[in-house]
Amino acid sequence: MGRTDLLTSFLPLHLLLFDIIDTVRALGWSGAIDLLRNGITLGSLYALIALGYSMVYGILKLLNFAHGDVYMVGSFIGYGVLTALGGPLSPKLALTPLILLIFLAAMLGSGTLGVVIERFAYRPLRNAPRIAPLISALGVSFFLQNSVLLLFGAQHRLWDPFDLGGNPARGVPGPLTSPVFTVKGVPVTVAQVLVVSTAVALMVALTVLVARTRIGKAMRATAYDREAAAMMGIDVDRVISSTFFIGSVLAGGAGVMFGLYIGDTYHFMGFLAGLKAFTAAVVGGIGSIPGAMLGGLVVGLAEAYATGYVGGKWSDLVVFSLLVVVLLVRPTGLLGARAIHKV
Amino acid sequence: MNRRTGVVAGLVVAIATTVAVVATTATATPDRAAAPSNADKALIKCGKTRTLGMSAPLTGDAAALGQQQARWANFFVQGYNRTHKTKIRLVPGDSQLPNTAQAIKVAEQFASNSQVLGVVGPAGSQEVVASTAPLRGGHLAFVSGSATRTSLTDGSRAGYFFRTVPNDDQQGARVASFIKGTLKKQRVFIIDDEETYSQGLADQVEKLLRASSGFTVTRDHVSQSVSDFSSLIVRIPSNTQIVYIPWQLAPKAQIFAQQLRAAGKGATVFGSDGLFAPGTFTFAGSYVSAFPVDLTSKSVVAYQKAHGGMGELFGLPSYVATQVVTNAVDKACKNGSATRDDVRKFVAATNIPKKQSLLGFRIRFARNGEMLNPANFAIFRIGAGGKYIRVA
Repeated sequence: MGRTDLLTSFLPLHLLLFDIIDTVRALGWSGAIDLLRNGITLGSLYALIALGYSMVYGILKLLNFAHGDVYMVGSFIGYGVLTALGGPLSPKLALTPLILLIFLAAMLGSGTLGVVIERFAYRPLRNAPRIAPLISALGVSFFLQNSVLLLFGAQHRLWDPFDLGGNPARGVPGPLTSPVFTVKGVPVTVAQVLVVSTAVALMVALTVLVARTRIGKAMRATAYDREAAAMMGIDVDRVISSTFFIGSVLAGGAGVMFGLYIGDTYHFMGFLAGLKAFTAAVVGGIGSIPGAMLGGLVVGLAEAYATGYVGGKWSDLVVFSLLVVVLLVRPTGLLGARAIHKV
Repeated sequence: MNRRTGVVAGLVVAIATTVAVVATTATATPDRAAAPSNADKALIKCGKTRTLGMSAPLTGDAAALGQQQARWANFFVQGYNRTHKTKIRLVPGDSQLPNTAQAIKVAEQFASNSQVLGVVGPAGSQEVVASTAPLRGGHLAFVSGSATRTSLTDGSRAGYFFRTVPNDDQQGARVASFIKGTLKKQRVFIIDDEETYSQGLADQVEKLLRASSGFTVTRDHVSQSVSDFSSLIVRIPSNTQIVYIPWQLAPKAQIFAQQLRAAGKGATVFGSDGLFAPGTFTFAGSYVSAFPVDLTSKSVVAYQKAHGGMGELFGLPSYVATQVVTNAVDKACKNGSATRDDVRKFVAATNIPKKQSLLGFRIRFARNGEMLNPANFAIFRIGAGGKYIRVA
């Protein structure tokens, strides 16, 4: 390759760089805050899903690839409850009890699904080579995806967060998209506050549960040494089931939040969300609960800023490049502890 | 296996899955040799039940579109089977758009299935390109209800490929002229969804608007799998007047329009025929270009009644494609048996009168497989309550 060819081949990169600089200038501070708000909201969702990956990995050293689909099922359950109660445009309940009921049903349903998956797809393989449950996880993922496709079809289900709780006939939007406060002129909506605050509340509750309760102690003991925990009288099967339940409950909650914030539920939604949440878990340090939260935020912010400053088609590239960079620089993730192996 | 090995193994699986999904969209080559078929020119005994293949993405990310097309095709078959002594059987082939390798596999299966007399589909333009060799090798006529890339009818598929949708040039020209002449808006932001259909239309509209003086046209892209458009919307300047989104998933357009408005941006959303879905894309004030379908026609009303009132008009040309292939099979099978070449000849000679055409005009094909004198695209404005009002 000649010198001119080399320069020419780097030209698009140059142009892209200039384009990014122009965009950053054009969007200004309000654009940056706008993207920060979007990134934190999206990151909170990723963090909630990532927690499930991290908890299961922490306790079983298993990458539960079906977790993204549990999130999808949670979203479907939430939508089902919404539809059963009159649908997004004419709900039979006031908005607050309706949302609480949706959360409750989706979280319980997803939690139960998580327990069932563990019982039938992973427990029989607990003493099999590591690759077996991994393949089983992929199988469960496809099974869930295609079951939902067969049962409910491929149509996207719209939650209509713009109209939910409003009066669409009179053109009055619902409260979810109305601003709660503004930061430098950038509005933060009820849905965004709801997503972030619920995610934070759930993460705090999980942290307290793991740090302060009996089951949390049992989970930590099982994660540290499963056999020793069993010898100390801990019911390891119950602890693992509880871990799956809690992780799946969080995924179900994330599925509902996605519905209330974005408003889209369909059979394939768990694939990319699951992949990004897994990236978040790895970036944060898989097995670490604060790591999953941090990873979620990092991935959410990276995606938002990449989309805003570089362009829509680059966001996935940036997110997954980030994963590679973090793994190269800190193979255990941002908050992951180096594993000590006894020999 | 230690912790790090586990993570690495997981990553390998995740990356391999992603790479496989991405790679399959690019691995298929159009010139791939067709599987030899015994049914090429063989005389097929038609019998009472005649078999057609239908290639559509029934699973995967574009399943919402493929299943819609399958529902329209089956709707035609049900009506036909109710009123005719001979019956039609549709053999579904899941092309898993954008997985063109899978589309080739489906085409090869149809080519080697001696019962298949003609094919409805494939759905995507890239699938048509990839499937041409095996389908042509099997002497099969294939009639697509959604492949709009203009170059598909450059003559290289003449006699095999036909479509019941107009190409990107026709629709793009109509949209550009409406934006310029009727709406008189000059600041346009175009977002394609990174699929062939969308890119072709976006390119065409962008080219035509840029060619006119005084226009500010910005182009961006977003993946069809994205539902959170909030960060993309940040990129749209506040003074933008039109956001043109030639997408295929109406629910995504509805979400986009809602998020655009929630972000306080007042630009008008303008969609293509892929978004012509009364009942789904209902954002008041938006525009959609589409075939001048009579929404009150008996068949459209019956379809909507049978499918929970959904609009789903993007799939309507697949109904017509099924009608075209069925009519050709009927004619070819007049004496009880037919070759696939006979079916191709009768597809080329299609002449469906306006009265029987859901597209609202007489359907005939030019030699290259394009429809002859199709009606011009209509422009619909979405009014209050999601009602589609024809404005041009």
